[in-house]
Amino acid sequence: MKEIIVVTWMSLRTIPGRWGSSLVVVVGMACAVGALVSILSMSAGFLRTMTSTGSPSRAIVMSDGALGEWGSTIAHDEAVTLTDMPGIARDGGGKPIVSADYIAYTLVSKKSDGLDTGVAVRGVSGEDPKLRPEIKLIAGRWFRPGQYEIVVGKGAQEEFEGLKVGDRVTLPEGEWLVTGTFESNGGANESELITDASTLLSAMRTSQYKSMTVRLASPASFTQFKNAITSRPGPALEISRESDYYAEQSKSFDEFLKTIAYVVGGIMGLGATFGALNTMYSAIAARAREIATLRAIGFGGAAVVVSVMSEALLFCLIGAALGVAFAWALFNGYQHSMGGLVIRLAVTPALALTGIGFALALGAIGGLFPAARAARMPIVDALRAV
Amino acid sequence: MDAMKYLPLVLAGLMRRPARTLFTFLSITVAFILFGILAAIDGGMAHQLEAARLDRLLVDTRYGTQLPLAHLDRIARIPGVTVVAPRQILVGYYRDPKTPFGIIMTDRRFFDVRPELNATKEQIDTLLKTRTGALITVFSAKRFGWKVGDKVPVISNTLRRDGGHAWTFDIVGIIDDMDRPGKARYFIGNYDYMDQERTSQKGTVDRILVRIKDPARATQIGRAIDAAFANSDAPTRTGSEKSERQSDIRSIGDVGFFTRAVIAAVLFMLLFLTGNTMMQSVRERVSEFAVLKTLGFSDTAVLTLVLAEALVLCGLAAGAGLVIAKIGVPLIGEVSPDLGQLLLMPWPALLTGLGFALAVALVAGLVPALKARRLSIIEALRT
Repeated sequence: MKEIIVVTWMSLRTIPGRWGSSLVVVVGMACAVGALVSILSMSAGFLRTMTSTGSPSRAIVMSDGALGEWGSTIAHDEAVTLTDMPGIARDGGGKPIVSADYIAYTLVSKKSDGLDTGVAVRGVSGEDPKLRPEIKLIAGRWFRPGQYEIVVGKGAQEEFEGLKVGDRVTLPEGEWLVTGTFESNGGANESELITDASTLLSAMRTSQYKSMTVRLASPASFTQFKNAITSRPGPALEISRESDYYAEQSKSFDEFLKTIAYVVGGIMGLGATFGALNTMYSAIAARAREIATLRAIGFGGAAVVVSVMSEALLFCLIGAALGVAFAWALFNGYQHSMGGLVIRLAVTPALALTGIGFALALGAIGGLFPAARAARMPIVDALRAV
Repeated sequence: MDAMKYLPLVLAGLMRRPARTLFTFLSITVAFILFGILAAIDGGMAHQLEAARLDRLLVDTRYGTQLPLAHLDRIARIPGVTVVAPRQILVGYYRDPKTPFGIIMTDRRFFDVRPELNATKEQIDTLLKTRTGALITVFSAKRFGWKVGDKVPVISNTLRRDGGHAWTFDIVGIIDDMDRPGKARYFIGNYDYMDQERTSQKGTVDRILVRIKDPARATQIGRAIDAAFANSDAPTRTGSEKSERQSDIRSIGDVGFFTRAVIAAVLFMLLFLTGNTMMQSVRERVSEFAVLKTLGFSDTAVLTLVLAEALVLCGLAAGAGLVIAKIGVPLIGEVSPDLGQLLLMPWPALLTGLGFALAVALVAGLVPALKARRLSIIEALRT
């Protein structure tokens, strides 16, 4: 063990003489990891937004087969019966904590490029503050039911034109006044505009809701609530725990982002690995005499392997750290909108570890073959060259 | 070509350390495969925009409501409008719930709005005579392995009046989109079939397609359409096909920025890689260059020789990578049609790639080349 440390330390001390070629590995890995982590930060930010929207103690009800709230309809009467289902939490006055929601959208223009984008306008029922306590007003005042008034999510307000408090938003029945700004724990609601459901329904000239969200008496009441709805007469409905619903909604887009990240990062990593192979082969060529001498005076092959490997891994580690730092400096917290959804890219500690693990795995490949060659190098031939 | 006689010398220089040259070569090749794929993503999107017709307007809902069929007649009366067609998408899947697709439920007018579809009059007649009929594109036929005469069940989220979710279609013909042959994923059925069978939203569509006589009046006609419905139950938002596709592409993010950033990172990496290889090679061959100079090679000739090595290495490796990408991109389409239809690698992209490779070679080779040029014979041979 001690000899391994000695040999490794010796080889690391010779790096300054070879910094030019070592830089190739560092830069290569920094670029590959930087690309990987940057793209993954989009996925991490997207997932963070989606998961902080859904709560395990809420359930969302939509019509059967609806792929999302947009494609769902819930009749007014149906919504009324649903509020009486068992498993729903009730407030001090015994009123069930539920909201039947309607969603419309309106066109706003994106601040960065002026492109028209549809943002969701959610109509919520009266009990909403108890249902979604994470939605907090941070400026202005709440909308008044019956008035054409609306509050705007922080993300939407920052990303799009014309959504400041006092601005007017074009919706059916004219211009609606923006009365306040809210935040919502960084969730998807922050990309939405919220108003009163009945006011929005009548403006849209419809009586059908899109979905119904309920607060469960406890997270465990979900089964009771779901069974009660499934066994009641009437059209089939789809009941999901809200956290599961948002996880499901984000799955395919997240897979898409991750595929791109690993394809791009992987190809760049492959390029960087060839660079690492080059560097490490030339490193052992430069150290041929030294290695042969070490072997001749009795140091084992393992010590040589470890010393070459650790050199390769060290370069990769430095490269990965630079790549992660670069991605962090450039993209962490960067606000980005995908259609109407506003997210903040996130370079999380988990992503940093992913990037470092990725680089170390490639470094292991880039170091292994040269290390094996170094350990097998015929001592006599190498020393003869002296 | 007088310069050609130096080619063996250039190749000998490169092959002096075959392993090093090989790894550098592979690294550059891989980088340019990535360049090719990114160029294909860009190219695919550019092509979609180019294929957008200027004489076509899309009428969508402004706030999220369905559009009543009555809108069609009203739009047809607006001056300058030549054809109006309904469109309702039926979303469903065939066997695999994970790959849902959209079926366009429409009528004869759809083919007048989309003349790029090569459906014959007979095919359209058969479609309209067969209530459950469907025309599909070559792409769709290949994707699902369907042929004319097949009866295919599509499971949809749209409820049927019999309480079921299975919508049956009879494939009556296979057509193609002449603007994107083999890549367009159309599945076209009869609007009436859907409207009679569905339980809600009867008599409405999710989009109205409009063809106009004079593309120059597109904006004006679009405004006239929206004005006509501003105070109706279903206000509209009319836009050109091009702006629609632009915002579709933008909705996944700034793709152009992304591809440029990755390409910049790749080139940066290659600069170091190639520079290092050339530097090592020049350092090892100091005495060889001295011999060349002794034999009468000028300083400039030695500089050119080193640059030529870098150019040959980068050019060949990048060429290999670009060719692999050019051949490989259509193969991606064979494996995954969904990805394949987004990719298109234009020939000019190959030239751009080659240009980048040669630029990298020149920049990366410059310092080693200058070093070889400055080399003094006496000092080099003394060591």
